[in-house]
Amino acid sequence: MIEAPDLSLSALSPFLFVFGAALVGVLVESFAPRHVRQPTQVALALVGTVGGFACTLLLAGRGEVTAAGALAVDGAGLFLQATIAGLGALSVLLFAERALDPARSAFVASAAVPAGSPRDRELLTDERVQTEVYPLATFAVGGMMLFVAANDLLVMFIALEVLSLPLYLICGLSRRRRLLSQEAAVKYFLLGAFASAFFLYGLALVYGATGTVQLAGIRQSVTDDGTGTLLVLGLGLLVVGLMFKASVAPFHTWTPDVYQGAPTPVTAFMAACTKVAAFGAILRLLYVAFGTADWTWRPLVYGIAIVSMVVGAVLGLTQTDVKRMLAYSSIAHAGFLLTGVIGLDAGTGSGLAATLFYLLAYGLTTVGAFAVVTLVRDGDGEATALAQWAGLARRSPLTAAIMTFLLLALAGIPLTSGFTGKFAVFRAAIEVGAWPLAVVALVTSAVAGFFYLRLVVLMYFSEPAEDGPSVGVPGLPTTIVLAVTVAATLVLGVVPGSVLDLADGAARLVG
Amino acid sequence: MDTVPATGLLASSWLLIALPLAGAAVLLLGGRRTDRWGHLLAIGTVTAAFVLAVLSTVELAGLDERSVGVDLFTFISTGRLDVGAGLLVDPLSMTFALLITGVGALIHVYSVGYMAHDPGRRRFFAYLNLFVAAMLLLVLGDSFVALYVGWEGVGLASYLLIAFWYTRPAAATAAKKAFVMNRVGDVGLALAIFLMFTQLGTTSYEGVFGSVGLLAGGTVTGIGLLLLLGACGKSGQFPLQAWLPDAMEGPTPVSALIHAATMVTAGVYLIARSAPLFDAAPVAQTVVVVIGAVTIMIGAVAGCAYDDIKKVLAWSTVSQIGYMFLAVGLGPVGYAAGIAHLLTHGFFKAGLFLGAGSVMHGMGDRTDMRRFGGLATRMRTTFVTFGLGYLALIGFPFLSGYWTKDAIIEAAFDRGGTSGWVLGGVAVLGAGLTAFYMTRLVLLTFFGEPRWEDGVHPHESPAVMTLPMVVLAVGSVGAGFLLVEAFPLADWLAPVFGEPEEATAHAIPPLAVSVLVTVVVALGVLTAWLLVGRREVPTTAPARVSAPVRAARAGLYADAVNEAVFMRPGIRLVRALRVVDDKGVDGVVNGIGAGLGGSSARLGRAQTGFVRSYALGMLGGAVLVAGALLAVTAG
Amino acid sequence: MSLTNYLVLAAILFTVGAVGVLVRRNAIVVFMCIELMLNSVNLTLVTFARSTGTLDGQVIAFFVMVVAAAEVVVGLAIIMSIYRTRRSASVDDANLLKY
Repeated sequence: MIEAPDLSLSALSPFLFVFGAALVGVLVESFAPRHVRQPTQVALALVGTVGGFACTLLLAGRGEVTAAGALAVDGAGLFLQATIAGLGALSVLLFAERALDPARSAFVASAAVPAGSPRDRELLTDERVQTEVYPLATFAVGGMMLFVAANDLLVMFIALEVLSLPLYLICGLSRRRRLLSQEAAVKYFLLGAFASAFFLYGLALVYGATGTVQLAGIRQSVTDDGTGTLLVLGLGLLVVGLMFKASVAPFHTWTPDVYQGAPTPVTAFMAACTKVAAFGAILRLLYVAFGTADWTWRPLVYGIAIVSMVVGAVLGLTQTDVKRMLAYSSIAHAGFLLTGVIGLDAGTGSGLAATLFYLLAYGLTTVGAFAVVTLVRDGDGEATALAQWAGLARRSPLTAAIMTFLLLALAGIPLTSGFTGKFAVFRAAIEVGAWPLAVVALVTSAVAGFFYLRLVVLMYFSEPAEDGPSVGVPGLPTTIVLAVTVAATLVLGVVPGSVLDLADGAARLVG
Repeated sequence: MDTVPATGLLASSWLLIALPLAGAAVLLLGGRRTDRWGHLLAIGTVTAAFVLAVLSTVELAGLDERSVGVDLFTFISTGRLDVGAGLLVDPLSMTFALLITGVGALIHVYSVGYMAHDPGRRRFFAYLNLFVAAMLLLVLGDSFVALYVGWEGVGLASYLLIAFWYTRPAAATAAKKAFVMNRVGDVGLALAIFLMFTQLGTTSYEGVFGSVGLLAGGTVTGIGLLLLLGACGKSGQFPLQAWLPDAMEGPTPVSALIHAATMVTAGVYLIARSAPLFDAAPVAQTVVVVIGAVTIMIGAVAGCAYDDIKKVLAWSTVSQIGYMFLAVGLGPVGYAAGIAHLLTHGFFKAGLFLGAGSVMHGMGDRTDMRRFGGLATRMRTTFVTFGLGYLALIGFPFLSGYWTKDAIIEAAFDRGGTSGWVLGGVAVLGAGLTAFYMTRLVLLTFFGEPRWEDGVHPHESPAVMTLPMVVLAVGSVGAGFLLVEAFPLADWLAPVFGEPEEATAHAIPPLAVSVLVTVVVALGVLTAWLLVGRREVPTTAPARVSAPVRAARAGLYADAVNEAVFMRPGIRLVRALRVVDDKGVDGVVNGIGAGLGGSSARLGRAQTGFVRSYALGMLGGAVLVAGALLAVTAG
Repeated sequence: MSLTNYLVLAAILFTVGAVGVLVRRNAIVVFMCIELMLNSVNLTLVTFARSTGTLDGQVIAFFVMVVAAAEVVVGLAIIMSIYRTRRSASVDDANLLKY
């Protein structure tokens, strides 16, 4: 007789909501007539993500381990889940934008039709829209939320795949520039599968060394037996798999290519939500499972943080494409986030709260920045080449102003959320004595600030080209996204106190 | 100075700033949609702020502890770091808030008539609201940093409003001049704040004044002198006085509100607010007194020579603020006197400017007094209100100026010794000159034969303009008596400056001072009558004049001195710096930039676009990670 | 036979798979090499299940198989779509996104 594991349904409610919405979405895709699918799917995806968001809020304050030790419901996890669900809802809104593209959607009407074929050209201007993206994205959101709550390496692996597989697919579904989009999907898929093989091998080695895959069990074993070669190798491979998802250098190589090739709403989704999810898992792995042996991984993370900041900031300097530039920015930000991870000292450091806050602030700003990218268009879809953005302020002062504000936030200028976040993580690093890391972070912030400002200068002080891009008038969904992200970036920069307090209160990992 | 947490209405003091700020935001962001009702909104916000200020003052007066702190918001408050902003509501700040919102509201109303036909009316009211908000922040902030933010805010608003008619080259140049000269002062203020922060670790009034005693004497003097530099820039005091007359290029309501009644008195506020600092730095105080005395003379002398009605009033402002500096430089005996004069001056000088604006309105925007004359009968209300302001300014017995200016002159004599006599003498002489140039102004404008240019048809301004003038005229008549005799300002301000001490021994009996001043003023009026009123006034200024008149006409050569002493060497210095910058600094920066760019391009080559090389990179990374971990655990 | 042999075999298979990813051009073959890596992990897991005397390893191996099957579906779909467009499954041909 096998005993049923204890299962707290209320603690699982966020997942039930999101995955439930995704499953219903699959049914809708199969049975609903074509013309009602788009509104239904958008509504379902929003119900799922917003409902998941609401459930995490209701769970606030809980701290328990449920589902036979496989899931941890704790402050940090709930904070990140709420962040992911909220950012996911914003991304769904970007997916649902129909006013910008003449073809009414950023997604290809039929992915099976070869790019460039006569049928493809026909479909390019067709009113038909792809609606599979909504359940796929909802599944990915669910996977991400599971990822940050996983208290067990197996669940972590499953969550990793649940979040990755839909992403691989929707990366390849761009309506325009389909060759680039498909290439991005292939690259992301092959490298992602490669990285998850590493993660899995690491899982196997840790299992072999400790006899368990539960994080609490691993910690117990680390405390009792110390660290053997097998365990350390396993830890290394697990870290590789997670760092890949978080696009931390030197595991970042996919990031620029995929960010550039994927449909921009998907890029926004990946850049914001995947980053949050991956860092949630990194925090949980390093602090719950290996927190008592932090001397093993601390020098490693220290080094990786520096490499990531330098690579992101330096390579970003010579980019000529806005999306690619934001991809390198994302790599640099991964490095800044790692300074917060370093600043997490058992019990004393403020690194956990700082990292949580940074993830929220960065996610919101990034979604906003990519939303602006969807607005600037020419006859061939989005105009992402930097040169095409020259003199944008003349054409559309409001768009340029919003982009400038968001770029300043990414650069970490005071009175934006970026400054507060950077300030928090750097201070956390200094608190635990990692001031050389903070110095490197400051220098690389300055270097990275250069390429953000370059775009600002380009928008304001260059003559617009004769046949330059136009700025589309966004529909309601994108307008909501822009309003929310800009407002949040401002509020988190000017009066961050309450959210910092919230992150501080949530900064707790159980397991 | 201990503050108590705000309760009741005082806790919402932030609304004082927020209301006009919101008005400015709506007008600036709302665009043309707000053209039709924008000015009404602007008046509404300022009036509401005034009502709130009155109610708050009443509530403050009822408190035992008349110094209330309001926490605005905490930016970051974790651990030892506490970055926030707050307001300080005390008698001094509320006095200023009343002046700013009260006179501000009147001038907003006046502007409706004055700017009725201007296409940029909405922009004008937006800037005015912005100014009021910034000025309120300046006086209500509870730290030097908050003051500095407001300080820069009013500087910005002043710049925008001087250059309001930016298509006129003179307006644009004047705005630039005002901005640059203000920057000189602002640097002083900023350095003073930095000095406080490095020495004391705080910039809040409470913190700084509480620990003045811990500082070395030299440091306090340094901070005091730097603050004074900032005050001189904002208040148009020697040696930074030259911008103020030029600032008259802005619309006249602006001259009345910003360049007469409120912003230019910010320097006086700064020094009065920093009283504990200056009391501990006698050297700095002496410098304040000297600058005040020098400026009284500069303003009064230059005021005698100009023919432009607004510029004469501007020089008069410079000179009157000199009186206020003189007063606050005298220490505890003078603070309340200086603030009282500031308030009455706010009334009568704003009234005078509005009157001048009304005259200009009727004369087709002309400002040359030689082409005025005989307007007393054509513009009766303007004449009466202007006349009352004039009498108040020259110190006609029992009007405002009589009470407050005499108090300052008295305090100057009471300083005792040679310096007391010199300062007192200067102040009395200044009063005589004031009487001269103001009488000349009134005679040229309102009396004598009309010397109007062709096509000018003087007419009285509409009620929306004359009404504020009437209110200000009433203030000009009664404010002095109220503030000095009926409800002594010194008692009201006692929580800030300490209980007023009755001077035991006067160098000269107060009655004698009053008589002396009145006689000198009468002499000034008489001289003006003899020189101007009885003679034919040439419609163009005579070219052949004596050297002193030429000097006065050139503003005592302040521009020339600035040009010779600062501008030309400055340009040379800038050229030299540019060479250093181009060759040296830029070389280094460009070198770093090129180095980074080069390494970026080289590193970028690694991003080949081939999946297999990416996989190789990841595998290499994984090997490095594993190796590093093994090295750490093995080591 | 010592359990170590199984582990060594699995490690060799993992390495073969990883090297295959690096050297093969055809996307399908690259993908198969990744599958080889996953299966070597399965072998490791089952071995460890035996050596530690727990069942977890075997259970995980089943999960991995399911996940791998799902991955095949997604992967083949993506590779098919790019093959239809380019008439080539070489990963080196998809090289528009770089630097």
